[in-house]
Amino acid sequence: MNAGALDNPVFRGYLIVLAALLVVAGALIALLRFVFRKNVTHAWHAYRGWLIMIPVIMVALFLGREATIIFFTLLGLAAFTEFARATGLYRDWWMTGVVLLGIIAVGVLSLMRDPGEGTLGWYGMLMALPVYVVAAILMVPIFRDEAKGQLQHIALGLLGFIYIGWMFGHLAFLANAANAYNYILYLLFAVPVCDVAAFTFGRFFGKRKFRPNISPNKTWAGALGAFTVSMLMPWALRFSLPGFTPRDLILTGVIVGIGSQLGDLSISVIKRDIGIKDMGTLIQGHGGILDRVDSLIYVAPLFFHMLRWFHGL
Amino acid sequence: MDSWSYQPTEDFDKGPIERLKSFPRHPDLLVYTLRLFTNFVIRAAMKIWHRLEIVGELPREGSFVVVANHSSHLDAAAILSAVPLKKVHRAFPAAAADYFFTNLPALAFSAIVINAMPFDRKENPKQSLALCRQLLDAPGHILVLFPEGTRTVDGTLGRFKAGIGFLTAGTDFPVVPCYLEGAYRAWPKGKWIPRPRKLRLIIGEPLTFRDRTPVKDDAIAIADALRERVAALMERR
Repeated sequence: MNAGALDNPVFRGYLIVLAALLVVAGALIALLRFVFRKNVTHAWHAYRGWLIMIPVIMVALFLGREATIIFFTLLGLAAFTEFARATGLYRDWWMTGVVLLGIIAVGVLSLMRDPGEGTLGWYGMLMALPVYVVAAILMVPIFRDEAKGQLQHIALGLLGFIYIGWMFGHLAFLANAANAYNYILYLLFAVPVCDVAAFTFGRFFGKRKFRPNISPNKTWAGALGAFTVSMLMPWALRFSLPGFTPRDLILTGVIVGIGSQLGDLSISVIKRDIGIKDMGTLIQGHGGILDRVDSLIYVAPLFFHMLRWFHGL
Repeated sequence: MDSWSYQPTEDFDKGPIERLKSFPRHPDLLVYTLRLFTNFVIRAAMKIWHRLEIVGELPREGSFVVVANHSSHLDAAAILSAVPLKKVHRAFPAAAADYFFTNLPALAFSAIVINAMPFDRKENPKQSLALCRQLLDAPGHILVLFPEGTRTVDGTLGRFKAGIGFLTAGTDFPVVPCYLEGAYRAWPKGKWIPRPRKLRLIIGEPLTFRDRTPVKDDAIAIADALRERVAALMERR
């Protein structure tokens, strides 16, 4: 994905669609605010967040493969740091340090070439990496000769690395795919659309609570609406998924439609258990980085392995 | 089985900039790593670029105050170089809040690299002195103060403000007078980058002011006494 992002019709396509969406959404908010005198503070904050996020992401993608991998790796490091701060694992510097190094290793393996095959990204080692990181995580309490409370640290370290570091790292590795722009942009577009659909359907049709103990604002109508929209997205954005057969398109729809909602709920479970509302404050109107990428973490590796199995990278 | 307990870090709900601004700062893995690394580089630069020579030694244990003449932005970095590297997180040069904590690059530099304590010299010096006191009450903290309150414009040693007196009167905290020589020539006020001039940091004998009381006259007397000590170090070269 190095040569001239702007020559890539898919990149250009998304650029136009996203710019149009920002303009339309902005106009809509302005209309509601100034003509209908509605209170749009919440929508405006969320919109302002997108106004910053979209250009940042598009610039990273525009700069090519290396920049994209580094960008997503930094995102993973920041997301894990939020998780560690929220759970209190951050006080354990050795455990936090080991996981951070593990996440950096994910990025490095995505950046380098496979020493055997010469292809971009060392896929085999990426798949083997959890073995080494888990081994390193288990070594931390042993080196300290400490047992009390360590199971919690180990468990948080494992979840932090495997889920937020390694699974999310698959998104960065996608930058090595031949059609990297197609896939990354599809995920970055379809996953938030699924979130927005859940919100919108829930707002208009939502009656029965979906998972009231985890995320009280989610409804069955929202979940089903989001799933339906996500099933339609691959067909609507077929230009972005070259060579995908109907089976692949359905699989993509299922992965995004179910996966992104499960990803959202997974992070909600963690937040609920800790007793916090957001994982951070970095993105105004969205909470922390982890609140924004929660769905992507779940979807990216599932999509990645589906893609790799049926098409190769 | 005990149930797990989660305690988000104390600065959990703050954004990164707010975290840098707030004081006292909470220990942060990333900040500590960056601070160790940058201080290592600064030490190297002090040795190579300025051929920094350190005469004398700072106390090894306990909390104490370092007072020094202030002629350039190099001062804090030079004094930090006299502190063992692993103690840099517990050394706090007081820096003008109105100068170092207003824009982002200066804030990042003073909070991460220098570990500066924001000193409000204009609005609320009393509150800042209380903060200094709080820092000293914790064991093993080093507070670096420039009692002149600003950098010298002509290279001479200015009057010491009485704050240092109020801070240390009636306490056992040692106050270490220091004189940094050459910094004015190396980086005078108004110049963009330091010139490769030799620096010499002369560390004097610590004083305590147990028998003084924190009233105005005593505070001024302490400030004058310390200024004399620093001036004496200046003569001694």
